Amino acid sequence: MKLQLSMPTDAQQRREFLKSSAMAMAAAVASGIEFPLPILAEEPTAGVNWQKAPCRFCGTGCHVQVGVQSGKVVAVAGDRNAEVNKGLLCVKGYHVGAALYGKDRLTTPLLRTGSSYRKISWDAAIKIIADRIEAAPARFAMYGSGQWTIPEGYAAQKFMKGGLSNNHIDPNARLCMSSAVTGFLATYGVDEPAGCYDDLDACDVLIMWGNNPAEMHPVLFSRVIDRRGRGEKVTLIDIGTRRTRTTEACQHYLEMKGHGDLAIANGIAHLLIANETYSRKFVESFCNFKAPDDANPNLHGKAISFDEYKTLLEPYTPEYVETLSGVPADQIRLLADLFGNPDLKITSLWCMGMNQHTRGTAINSLVHGIHLLSGHFGSPGNAPTSLTGQPSACGTVREVGTLSHALPGGRVVTEAQHRQDSEDLWHVPAGRINPTPGHHAVKMWESFCTPTDEGGDIGTIWVQVTNPGQTLPNLNKLFNPKGDNTAGLDDKFLIVSDVYPTATTRLADLILPSAMWVEKNGLVGNSERRTQQWFKMVDPPGEARDDCWQTIAVAHELFTRGTAGMKDRDGRFLFEITDKVGSPVPVWEWEHYYDTNVDEHLFEEYRRFTRYKHKDLAPYTEYVKARGLRWPVVETDGQWQETRFRFAEGFDPYVTEGKEIQFYHSSTHDDRAQIWFHPWIAPAEIPDKDYPLMLCTGRVLEHWHSGSLTRRIPELSRAMPGAYVEVHPADASEYGLRNGDRVKMESRRGSLVLPVWIDGRGKPPRGTVYIPFFDETVMVNDLTLDALDPFSKQPDYKKAAVRISKVAS
Amino acid sequence: MIASVVLTLDNYAETFQETVDEISRIPCLSLGLTEAVAHRIPVMIDSPDPDALEEITQRLQQCRGVAFVDVVFVHFENEPSRTSLADSGKPTPP
Repeated sequence: MKLQLSMPTDAQQRREFLKSSAMAMAAAVASGIEFPLPILAEEPTAGVNWQKAPCRFCGTGCHVQVGVQSGKVVAVAGDRNAEVNKGLLCVKGYHVGAALYGKDRLTTPLLRTGSSYRKISWDAAIKIIADRIEAAPARFAMYGSGQWTIPEGYAAQKFMKGGLSNNHIDPNARLCMSSAVTGFLATYGVDEPAGCYDDLDACDVLIMWGNNPAEMHPVLFSRVIDRRGRGEKVTLIDIGTRRTRTTEACQHYLEMKGHGDLAIANGIAHLLIANETYSRKFVESFCNFKAPDDANPNLHGKAISFDEYKTLLEPYTPEYVETLSGVPADQIRLLADLFGNPDLKITSLWCMGMNQHTRGTAINSLVHGIHLLSGHFGSPGNAPTSLTGQPSACGTVREVGTLSHALPGGRVVTEAQHRQDSEDLWHVPAGRINPTPGHHAVKMWESFCTPTDEGGDIGTIWVQVTNPGQTLPNLNKLFNPKGDNTAGLDDKFLIVSDVYPTATTRLADLILPSAMWVEKNGLVGNSERRTQQWFKMVDPPGEARDDCWQTIAVAHELFTRGTAGMKDRDGRFLFEITDKVGSPVPVWEWEHYYDTNVDEHLFEEYRRFTRYKHKDLAPYTEYVKARGLRWPVVETDGQWQETRFRFAEGFDPYVTEGKEIQFYHSSTHDDRAQIWFHPWIAPAEIPDKDYPLMLCTGRVLEHWHSGSLTRRIPELSRAMPGAYVEVHPADASEYGLRNGDRVKMESRRGSLVLPVWIDGRGKPPRGTVYIPFFDETVMVNDLTLDALDPFSKQPDYKKAAVRISKVAS
Repeated sequence: MIASVVLTLDNYAETFQETVDEISRIPCLSLGLTEAVAHRIPVMIDSPDPDALEEITQRLQQCRGVAFVDVVFVHFENEPSRTSLADSGKPTPP
């Protein structure tokens, strides 16, 4: 008898290999072992090419390894060599590759003709945009995104402000982090956090202010939980308006009413002074005091003395704070005791809860203030740090400055010197940059949605990489003012560049198909000042093209028509890129766009702006080698060194020796930060007998923002298929509701119907409800309020009065 | 689908063996070595389809003592082709 051995097939071998690789990677991550990319390339039959890229989704900035085979992304792995995520990914990052492959990708330009769309060529599309701009350049606006890559945002910024002398460019980030910006500016005179994620590894106490990182920044949160698993003592405190998955991991939960955070911060400051547990040395050495200037409201307020500050805080006793916030006085004392202990290291984290707030600038400033007052600042583990929700809200919006008042590198259009420096760097004629800020996001859309003869001065908006038709507040006012969304708006024209059909493309007159993520080169900047780079790995589908190319192509079309703004001082094209021998590369022609690395050219040009505000970036080639570098990145002894902690001697190269702490962009020009007093003020809308419930909106773990990417990933869509309203059990009982009942939610601005989830994932307190915004079939922003913070112009999506009624089945 | 995850255990010393026993009863899993960092367990999942993978990861999340399920690797090359929102009766392209 002959024994027959069955040899494994190639497919079986490959499967076993993948399994062993998967386990090896998990074991390496679990053990904290690092090893270089590519991990699978040593397997000759694998045929998978691995490259690094930051994740496409949130602002954490996790790095992934992207496996490409036969022109398609076939695998994704956490990057063990990335400091941010150390090999881990969340459920969204896990599926990020699949976001490329929804069946309904936009693949060709589409022009609205009546009630339908017809395919048109790219040439025709570019000419249509140029026609609209040429006809009325001052009525043109761009609405961008924290998902713009740095070169994309920079190109749009230069096109608008350096080319068209038009400052009507603003991003969706106005809706998510502009109050963080104004908080940093009002306190330190310069934007963005001083600390970084290393603080999460060093802190003894982590306070989350209106923040749910367990779902929104899960990799960062697991980094802290991991410390506790190793036996380290870390006290986690959740201050919020509803219980979340974050709450479940915290030792303390302080449930507050909307705007209770203003009172809590003042209550902590009150006790630090009353108990004399504030840091006298830190305050006297490094701080001034400020209060709002009611006679002349402005971001920098008026100077006050310490005694005046103390007097203003006197009413904020723990008991009074309890009446304002709903948080028991003992818990206010707990927080004050923690801040009053100099031996503890305290990190504060926040995100939308503090930013989407009609007093967003105030609460951001107050939280910075209690860190400064208590001296919990400037050493590892002691930091007030805001998180961002988009991959480049910091890198593109805040650093490139794609806001209607800003210029690259943290500078502003209202300052003559800033304009002159920018004109010099762009090599455009003096006076090209308009000194008047353009419309911020909400005003831009209000103007666009107002008939021209009623003062609507924006006629054309070009949207790139975002979905305002779903995410702007009070949508009915904008897009359905009289139940007729075309009333008086026939002369308006909406251009939308995107990768999938969205609520916004449905409003569009011209739709442009875009490349996304690893279908193009890119650079982004995450929440901890880390700039990250990746290369194009696969081709976009059909005729989809890079957003950056789209901008340059329109600019060049205008250049060929003789538009003066598209020429520099020497009459050359605004975006001229030359090859190694000095010949222009026709990058405005798609077939030549990748003849050179446009990203590198734009980045190197932009990089010159970053030194003005000590946000120095390294050469492009340094980012190719790294998993991101945190600015300022300064060359020392031939090495490009990143900065973990700003303003602190020993970490920040711009701090003068012997200064210990130096706020070198102080708004008072004395190297001091500002500790602010702001009074508690009630939310813009509070429940009453007609609308007795308070609505909070937000995100869920499985979906990213408006869901246009994650709802096309079957695993995520199945896990969280649609929006719902979370209702407290007692409220459900009062209204006769059971799980799954369909209810009508109404505010003064609109209504919608959706199912009830009693308690839900978040367990809202009595009298409040929560609805996520990811579902474009249930537009919660039909209900939300468009009241704004007076300085940041950011809307409050967290507090709107609503009523609920059961819909007959 | 082949994937791997790292489980982070909270208070692992008290519930470690119970947690490991519970995880071990879930089909399609292989547990890795946990000696170096005992509160983190590497797990390889070989599931027949995406639905099963989803179910397994949900079960892991629900196991007593498991604080986090972090994904390390996923190979989705052999998945069924992706559905579109158009197929599911959701909003369609213009």
